[in-house]
Amino acid sequence: MIPFKYNVRNLRVRWKTTLMTVLGTALLVASSCILFGLVEGLEHSLKVSGDPLDLIVLRKGATAETTGGFESKKADELLTLNGIARDGDGPLAAKELLNIPAAERVSGTYNNLIVRGVEPASRKLRPDFKIVAGRDFESGKGECIVSRFVAKNYKGGQVGGQLAFGEKEKYRVVGIFTAGGSSAESEVWADLKDVERNTGRDGSVSCVQIRAAGPEEFAKLRKEIEDGAQFRLAAKPEAEYFATQSDVSTFFKAAGTLIAILLTFGAMFAAANTMFSAVKSRTREIGTMRALGFSRGDVLISFLGESLLLSLLGGALGLLATLPMSFLSIETMNGNTFASVNIDFRFGFWVMAVALTMTLVMGLFGGMLPALRAVRLEVIAALREL
Amino acid sequence: MKYLTYILRNARRNPVRTGLTVASIAISMFLMMILTSFFAAMTEAQSASKDFNRIIVMNANGFAGQVPIARVRQVEAMDGVVAATPFSWYGGKYQNQRVLFAQFAVDADKVFDTLDEYKLPPDQLAAFKAEKSGAVIGPKLAREYNLKVGDPMPLQGDIYPVDLKLNIRGIYESPRNTDQRMVLFHFDYLDDQLRQLGSSSGGSTTQPSSAAGNAGIIFVKCKDAASTATLCKKIDDEYRSTDFPTRTQTEEAFGQMFSEMMGGLKDIVYWIGCAVVVSLLFVSGNAMAMAMRERTTEVAVLKAIGYDKKLVLGIVLAEAVLVAGLGGAVGALGSKALFDVVDISPFTGGFLPFFYVPWSVALTGLGVSLFLGFASGVVPAVIAANSSVINGLRKVV
Amino acid sequence: MAASIELRGVEKEYRRDEFVVPVLSGLDLTVAEGEYLALMGPSGSGKTTLLNLVAGLDVATRGQVLVHGQDLGRLSESEITRWRANNVGFIFQTYNLIPVLTAAENVELPLLLTSLSRKRRKENVATALRVVGLQGRESHYPRQLSGGQEQRVAIARAIVTDPYLLVADEPTGDLDRNTADEILELLEQLNREFQKTIVMVTHDPLAARRAGRVLHLDKGRLVDDVINESSVSAAS
Repeated sequence: MIPFKYNVRNLRVRWKTTLMTVLGTALLVASSCILFGLVEGLEHSLKVSGDPLDLIVLRKGATAETTGGFESKKADELLTLNGIARDGDGPLAAKELLNIPAAERVSGTYNNLIVRGVEPASRKLRPDFKIVAGRDFESGKGECIVSRFVAKNYKGGQVGGQLAFGEKEKYRVVGIFTAGGSSAESEVWADLKDVERNTGRDGSVSCVQIRAAGPEEFAKLRKEIEDGAQFRLAAKPEAEYFATQSDVSTFFKAAGTLIAILLTFGAMFAAANTMFSAVKSRTREIGTMRALGFSRGDVLISFLGESLLLSLLGGALGLLATLPMSFLSIETMNGNTFASVNIDFRFGFWVMAVALTMTLVMGLFGGMLPALRAVRLEVIAALREL
Repeated sequence: MKYLTYILRNARRNPVRTGLTVASIAISMFLMMILTSFFAAMTEAQSASKDFNRIIVMNANGFAGQVPIARVRQVEAMDGVVAATPFSWYGGKYQNQRVLFAQFAVDADKVFDTLDEYKLPPDQLAAFKAEKSGAVIGPKLAREYNLKVGDPMPLQGDIYPVDLKLNIRGIYESPRNTDQRMVLFHFDYLDDQLRQLGSSSGGSTTQPSSAAGNAGIIFVKCKDAASTATLCKKIDDEYRSTDFPTRTQTEEAFGQMFSEMMGGLKDIVYWIGCAVVVSLLFVSGNAMAMAMRERTTEVAVLKAIGYDKKLVLGIVLAEAVLVAGLGGAVGALGSKALFDVVDISPFTGGFLPFFYVPWSVALTGLGVSLFLGFASGVVPAVIAANSSVINGLRKVV
Repeated sequence: MAASIELRGVEKEYRRDEFVVPVLSGLDLTVAEGEYLALMGPSGSGKTTLLNLVAGLDVATRGQVLVHGQDLGRLSESEITRWRANNVGFIFQTYNLIPVLTAAENVELPLLLTSLSRKRRKENVATALRVVGLQGRESHYPRQLSGGQEQRVAIARAIVTDPYLLVADEPTGDLDRNTADEILELLEQLNREFQKTIVMVTHDPLAARRAGRVLHLDKGRLVDDVINESSVSAAS
């Protein structure tokens, strides 16, 4: 076995080349990681949004709460069902009404925001609901609370400001909330009655959120809502529901994968280029080592190892470069609802997996051909090389 | 250029290295083309629509709001309007799968007068107009699902609680940068069904967007460019204080609204593009530097013979630009050729009705790669130009 | 005979960090037109440095180097580069041909710096190759030529602009005896028939014997200056 020190020293001696290659590949790795960090952020928020005991009730055949509304009367009856979890304030179930108006961003461009009319219990049906600035709104006063990102990006979104959607709909922002990173953090929350009044839709709801008291009650409730003659609605387990909302996530993953693959090839070629040059300039050394008694296999492994080390440096640097990205969050449009969705970058499994995969492919595949060339050199020819 | 032979031969000196450098640049350029074209193709389509002098009326509060159907007649009667049609998004399922293509309820008599770049043979148009359950579909859709005129096209309701049983009466033709996967059917067909449903359940509407009588948006064809601006204002003024205030804008602005909504996505794409370009700088710069390091004697010989600094600099730089330019050409022009021939819209799940690489993007990509070659070659070129002749000629023992 | 190369009090030093390394000290030399001069001496004696000074590749620290009346020390860098192109032909021990160019293209290299038309350039290349006896090998690449042939191409390249001075740094160092003789024969011919002034650094005593005059250097000083009566140098 050719000592690994040899490879490390060589990388150090040709430091300019090593540096350029490492920087070049690191940038490519970082770009891919950022994309997948966004994918991870999106998946996380979707996953966190779904509590295993929660049901979301929509009109039968509907696929999204933005378009799956039904009569308010039926909704009221739902709230009285047995099997719903209860706490000191009553049943953990809430009617909710969605509106998707156009809102102006601070930058002057427009996007559609989800305004959700909620009942008090709605808060308990979201993971970790917390007011982090200001206070919660009071019923019937035309107030609302917003997520951090709405406060930052939309005109009138800060505490004390006013969000106005057209002539009729105005809400005074009184607080900022977080909800465990779930999808609620892309929304504006106002009192159900206010939203009903402002949009003139007091006869209907968009959905009803219910938490079952336990797994047994969960199954029973579901059956009753879906099959019972009284209702004939769709009762979807929240986790399932959010899984189907992941259009944007799928698109991102597909795009991210495509980009990562292309970038990996680019990085692979760059690493290969460097390694080919390394082999070429060390031809005589290789010949010497073979003459001394190191086998072809030793040479192969040595160069593959060097290639991997080079790639590792690039991959690690690229990965580290994405760490400060935890502040990154982008706002874009959900293809389903045409409404704004906020995605926070999340450094997690996907990011590391991408970085590792790219590094290994770069190092192994990029370094294979040069290493083979090193191996194929005939000893005498190599020693004669000037 | 008399030195071209030498420059070209130098690039061929180490075909593996040149090949790998070209490949790196080509692949990264290819990626850049895809990412940039995504937005550029949309922009191009938007500005192309300027010629048609169309404006779009929608509810000021967004897509969730209604535009009462009666307004279509009212708008059509206005001065400067040639034709107007409702465009109500049905959003149904086909073969019980979530919507992958657009379905609109329109005024069959007016729609092809409004969208005049969409063409339909007269007999098909007549058949469409005559039959209430008739529909017209786009050519890409016909190809994908193997549909012909006369086939049925049943759609299952998703947003609306009614299903549609349509019959294909025509397949339209439209320019490359438009949606060729739409289904257009009679507004009255949908409306009648909704009204029946409303009266039988005897209750109020469930969602405004699924109520009967909603035109969705109104496409209006104006007489000329001047009337577009005045009509936008006039329509909005007219309906400002009603229950359903409107927001009217040119078709181009409407399209831009969508890309604006993409928001942060564009920024990320831009930053990734920058990162890739910088990375390429390192990659090709490294390749050039490695190449030059192997040619120190040769450069010294040239200088001894009388090739001065400027000439040596120029020769090295030209080589770098050439190699990078080749990579850019393969990546940029290659991607343009690829997407001109291959249609990927079916695979995007309706997200992208069309995708191609505009010339502006391809040429910009080529330009960027040439610049890359220059920037990455500068340092090795300067080093070579300033290298000491004597040291270069010193015999390596 | 008109003086062709003149060195007056030439000294050359190199600076390496704080150390000053003297390479040539107090050199005075006169070379006539058409002379065939050999420079000999042990390693480090300064012979290559002297060659570089005469060829305009290096600048003396003190003193004057005049070639054909031109004081090289007064020329700027670009001027001396142009001067080299017009006046000097180079022949190296390791031939130093450009591997990616054919023999003809290698010979053409110095001509690219002139304003000659393509047709004229081709003609001159053909002539040069004929003089060195390589007509018919125009489109061969250096790797397809033997060592002797490569050196001939190098010589053709050196004479193609019809320079006044030829400098050769151990031109036979890499060649076997027979080939070396052929090359030396060629150099003699260039000196005799075409009146080229030749300054050659060599370790090879047989090569030195062909020159008209042999200079011996040691530790940067001229220690011997011998005329070869037996040679047929153009100067004599």
